[in-house]
Amino acid sequence: MRALSIAWKDIRHIYRDFAALAMMLVAPLLLAAALGSAFGAGDNFALPAVHTVVVDLDLPAATGSTDRAAAERERAGSHIVEVLTSPELDDVLDTTVLESAEAARAAVDEGEADVAVIIPAGLSERLSQASAPGNEPMVVEVYKDPAVTVGPAIVSAIVGSVTQSLDGARAAASTAVELAVDVGEVDPEKLVALAGATAEAYVSAAQQTEAVSIADRGPNIAGGEDRPDPNVASQVLVGMMIFFMLFGGATAARSIIDEHRNGTLFRLFTTPTPRSMILAGKYVGVFIVVLVQSVILLLVGWLLFGARWGAIGPVIALTLAGALVASSLGLLTVSFAKTPAQAGAGSAAIFVFLGLVGGNFMGTANVEGTFASVRRFTPNGWLIEGWGEVLYGGSWGNVAVPLLASVAFSLVFFLLATWFFRRRYA
Amino acid sequence: MPAIQVEDLHKQFDPPKGPVAVDDVTFAIEEGEIFSLLGPNGAGKTTTISMLSCLLRPDSGDAWVGGHSVSKESDRVRELIGVVPQEIALYEDLSGRENLLFWGRMYGMGGAELNTRVDEVLELIGLVDRQKDRVDKYSGGMKRRVNIGAALLHRPRFLYLDEPTVGIDPQSRRSILDGVKDLNRQGVTVLYTTHYMEEAQELSDRVGIMDQGKMIALGTQPELVRLVGESTRVDVVLDREAESLAARWREAEGIATVSSSEDGRVSLLATDANTLMPQLFDDARAADARITDISLAEPNLETVFLHLTGRALRD
Repeated sequence: MRALSIAWKDIRHIYRDFAALAMMLVAPLLLAAALGSAFGAGDNFALPAVHTVVVDLDLPAATGSTDRAAAERERAGSHIVEVLTSPELDDVLDTTVLESAEAARAAVDEGEADVAVIIPAGLSERLSQASAPGNEPMVVEVYKDPAVTVGPAIVSAIVGSVTQSLDGARAAASTAVELAVDVGEVDPEKLVALAGATAEAYVSAAQQTEAVSIADRGPNIAGGEDRPDPNVASQVLVGMMIFFMLFGGATAARSIIDEHRNGTLFRLFTTPTPRSMILAGKYVGVFIVVLVQSVILLLVGWLLFGARWGAIGPVIALTLAGALVASSLGLLTVSFAKTPAQAGAGSAAIFVFLGLVGGNFMGTANVEGTFASVRRFTPNGWLIEGWGEVLYGGSWGNVAVPLLASVAFSLVFFLLATWFFRRRYA
Repeated sequence: MPAIQVEDLHKQFDPPKGPVAVDDVTFAIEEGEIFSLLGPNGAGKTTTISMLSCLLRPDSGDAWVGGHSVSKESDRVRELIGVVPQEIALYEDLSGRENLLFWGRMYGMGGAELNTRVDEVLELIGLVDRQKDRVDKYSGGMKRRVNIGAALLHRPRFLYLDEPTVGIDPQSRRSILDGVKDLNRQGVTVLYTTHYMEEAQELSDRVGIMDQGKMIALGTQPELVRLVGESTRVDVVLDREAESLAARWREAEGIATVSSSEDGRVSLLATDANTLMPQLFDDARAADARITDISLAEPNLETVFLHLTGRALRD
């Protein structure tokens, strides 16, 4: 009971400290939210859709309404608009069709769009006569926000691909017509029909032929193929949570140094409460502080970011293991410091190093090679590996080794911290 | 056996070259007594009380509190003692009541018994009205009172107070001294350390005078004063040349002990103050100095310390 009284007193102290709370709870959530929104709310590290406006000025000459609609469908501009607004590109492009080039440029200038695609009038004619002598090449204008680079590059590539396809169709039709003339065909209607059929065949063939083959590797976790991937925020939050839990543990453990300096620790030593129980109370307090921190972060991640943490058993086990690692390492970093400043600077340096090596700043992103091996020298690296498994649908079998490894690290840290404290306060 | 028996207690910090804080100190305190350790800062009072509180382990020697060795039975000793540390050792973010409840639990108390006792202690220290305020909102005197109250919760047989009146207002000091006397009347044996001679004189049945880790005198106040003989203490304040005049008076006939401080104050023990006074003024005039204040006092504990060490307690 006395140990619990000490723990309860320490917990109340920490949760009355707004600076500590901000560091333990607000900072990881803000970072996860920022990175999550930067990479989109969807699965994996997807780029957010590029806000695009498109203006098609490549319109046919005025004729009857039925003819005009049919003619429009054949225009190069229509092809480009059709591609930019196609449902297949919804994840990449968020496209709006506007009526004038001025409106499109204004949308970019005012920050409403990242990029504007302006299809010039007469593009179709120029493409069909591109090889005619004296014809200046006509280009589709891509007007962009100078601060944005990736989005416009994607739009440019798509537009370029469509225009190249149309240009290829024109070249194919032109070659077919020249060959027909060479063999004596002079009937204009037949030549027009040949050109149209060749262009259509070219486009059709281009659309049907896959230049690149993309194949997904098999899932790492058997049976996990039906499970949706974890969203970015949850992957980032795991790294941030473990990283800031280390700071939470050190902040709570620093109460030992504070009590040393305030004289309350020595006063405690004059009471009948054994020193081992006083130390145990401190340990329990630190453990509960980081455990509560991680539970809050997991709940907020679930409620705010829609994080899907995985199987409940392994999640609880990993949470407890994380609290053990954070509290034991916090106690260890404080055990050889003499002042709060020393403890703060020392633990921050150690945690940032561990965070870099263990991969806290990469979340649960799949890593391979040397980095995957090196991070196993850190307890946080093992924890992140375990969380990575459980986030992708892993169960006890997948998290057993990471759990055992991180608990082993904790045990070593606890023993070392106890040895330092006992030596100091013997 | 005395209530507290201290035998050849010795403590050196950072041996072998570190300072000897307590040098083979021996004394005894009887049940129901107020015993004061009097001495300047650094005399070894706090180190002695720390060893008697089982905070520090003696290098050699031992002490028995209520018949239990501080070296071998520290758990039993800690149950018998209440310790009021020199510095205020409280949790500033807890209220006065929360602090007392916490410290009570550390003495193994709980439930209704603890709540009742906390009410009694709050009454005793006069903080019933402010019990729910955080300690960091208290004045220095109020903190001191909570600091003492925390040591009284478990009704200790022995109460150690280590300079409990440092840095507080006269009213709070009076309240603390009266409180100590009340507790003593209730049967609590008190070990009190101070460098204020007046407090030791007012409170103590017996006084141990410490200096540089040694117990240099021990006894009741009349016993200690007799060590000085018939000397009268003369305190002189000079506007200049205090050091040179002190050196001169040190060699003079009829002056037993002289000490001087940087503020121009010179303290002397004179066997015949009436004869000495004109000489002091003559010497000051000859040194082109002016005596701005002079006072005579009958022998007291301060005089004893001056007599034994050649230094004033304030030094």
